Amino acid sequence: MTKTKEVKQKKYLNPYVGGVLLGIVLLAANFVSGRGLGASGAIKSTVVTAVTAIVPSSTESSGFVKEFSESHKGNPMKTWLVFEMMGVLVGGFLSGAFAGRLKFKVEHSPQITSRKRLLLALGGGVLFGFGSQLGRGCTSGSALSGMAVLSLGGFITMMAIFGTAFALAYLFRKNWI
Amino acid sequence: MKPRNLLALFIIPMGLIIAAVPQNKTKPYKLTAEELLGEVNTRTQYVTPDAVADMIIKKDPSLRLIDVRSQDEFEKFSLPGAINIPVTDLLSDQYTDIINQDIKMNIFYSNGTLTSNEAWMITRQLGFSNNFVLEGGLNYWFDAILNPQKPASTSPDEEFAKYDFRKSAGGALGGGGAIQTTQNLGASSAKPMLKPGGKKKKASGGC
Amino acid sequence: MGPLAINEIISENTNLFLAFIIGIGFGFVLEQSGFSSSRKLAGVFYGYDTVVLKVFFTAAITGMLGLLFFSLFGWIDLNLVYVNPTYLTSAIVGGIIMGAGFIMGGYCPGTSFCGASIGKIDAIVFIGGLFIGVFIFGIGYDLWDGMYLASNLGSPKISTTLGMSDGIFAFLLILAALAMFWVAEWAEKKFPREEY
Repeated sequence: MTKTKEVKQKKYLNPYVGGVLLGIVLLAANFVSGRGLGASGAIKSTVVTAVTAIVPSSTESSGFVKEFSESHKGNPMKTWLVFEMMGVLVGGFLSGAFAGRLKFKVEHSPQITSRKRLLLALGGGVLFGFGSQLGRGCTSGSALSGMAVLSLGGFITMMAIFGTAFALAYLFRKNWI
Repeated sequence: MKPRNLLALFIIPMGLIIAAVPQNKTKPYKLTAEELLGEVNTRTQYVTPDAVADMIIKKDPSLRLIDVRSQDEFEKFSLPGAINIPVTDLLSDQYTDIINQDIKMNIFYSNGTLTSNEAWMITRQLGFSNNFVLEGGLNYWFDAILNPQKPASTSPDEEFAKYDFRKSAGGALGGGGAIQTTQNLGASSAKPMLKPGGKKKKASGGC
Repeated sequence: MGPLAINEIISENTNLFLAFIIGIGFGFVLEQSGFSSSRKLAGVFYGYDTVVLKVFFTAAITGMLGLLFFSLFGWIDLNLVYVNPTYLTSAIVGGIIMGAGFIMGGYCPGTSFCGASIGKIDAIVFIGGLFIGVFIFGIGYDLWDGMYLASNLGSPKISTTLGMSDGIFAFLLILAALAMFWVAEWAEKKFPREEY
């Protein structure tokens, strides 16, 4: 997992340059649509679509689906965030292709097995998915976009996410170091 | 130079500038002068006292009376259920949700119609809809509703129906005459329809 | 002027098309900054790689300064820009759950899509987890809708809450962020590890 010379990878962008570019993307999103970036909203749209397709009556029975359909008129897949996240997949792929980083692999610390890493990734995903719904947005939608518009909630969510992750870092150190 | 210092070189001065300049709080006008003049000429903003009295008696949930006079005057006398937004505070942030909405029918009133028209004109220019003005103001309200004049005996029937309504409405609203049990003909003119739209919705929730 | 979609300068479909373009930019910058690597992301919590902190705060500050300057020039009406509502309880509890998910899974939703796009299998599994998590939230919604809707503060700005102007808060945030960057670079020297 350490430096493999077979695939010649380009170096990552300087973080400050990346940050300024990301900020410009965020500004563009606000200028065009009046909202920031987001990710978990697209997942929510997909889940709602899937649930209503399988159980059509859920529009009435589930408070969650009901709340979603009331706030989003029309097709739940035809929303801003769904299109944006499709763009993310394309953009990430393009960047990976340019930098020679396209490769199927499970990234983990040499101290754990791939199997354990995948189980932890699944668990982390479940927690993050749940938390993003409760907190009305993930790191991009609530914390990053919220901070740019100076939303109080955005700052609180940001501090809660990073604070908790720092607090629990010691428990999970073997997975990463 | 380290990237961090380069970044600092840019963002610290920008931060200083943004901290030093006053915030842009201007609210852009949404209606042109011609559009506004058109509305003023057709007197679309007016609601008759009869219509308002009818809505008060029927406890119409969409009605919201807004007293744009000063707080002193409001405390001395106000219409039933009215809230007080002195015209001087009209644009303060705490009232934005009240004057810029598309659910209720806001009716501004003052003693005459001068102050209430000022309030209406300002909100209208900002593009807010569903704000109206009580025709004739409180002065006319007293004459028409609380103290109606009996029409001459030669008057057409509609005049009598109107008088009966005003008499009973005035009674119900604390005026002089006793409540009479003439049939309530609902003599009020049709109330203006709520016009949805106008208010620009914020973008809905993100992530 | 802005926001273009809300002022109806562009049509709804153009807005969605631009969403796709903006998404490409988002994904591209995330990947270029190294956000497709979970070990790089998690590095911030151990001090060996603080790229997350740097990119995150630089981006928030750039976006914030951009919005404030655009507003100053009258290019965008900040009254029409979506300010995330603050529900105190759910913001904190949700944030704590997300923080735990972050240190376990090593991704957040945006970066997991980015990782998945270049073939990171752990990112794909993480996305699977996200769907399950959202689904669990949905089916049990009635159990926690009390918490979800508790202590609604509206959509306050942090600058208003702290009683200062947006500009002064922005300036203080810039100073705080630069101080954090300085600590972060110190930490990277103290806990070095090789690039992977």
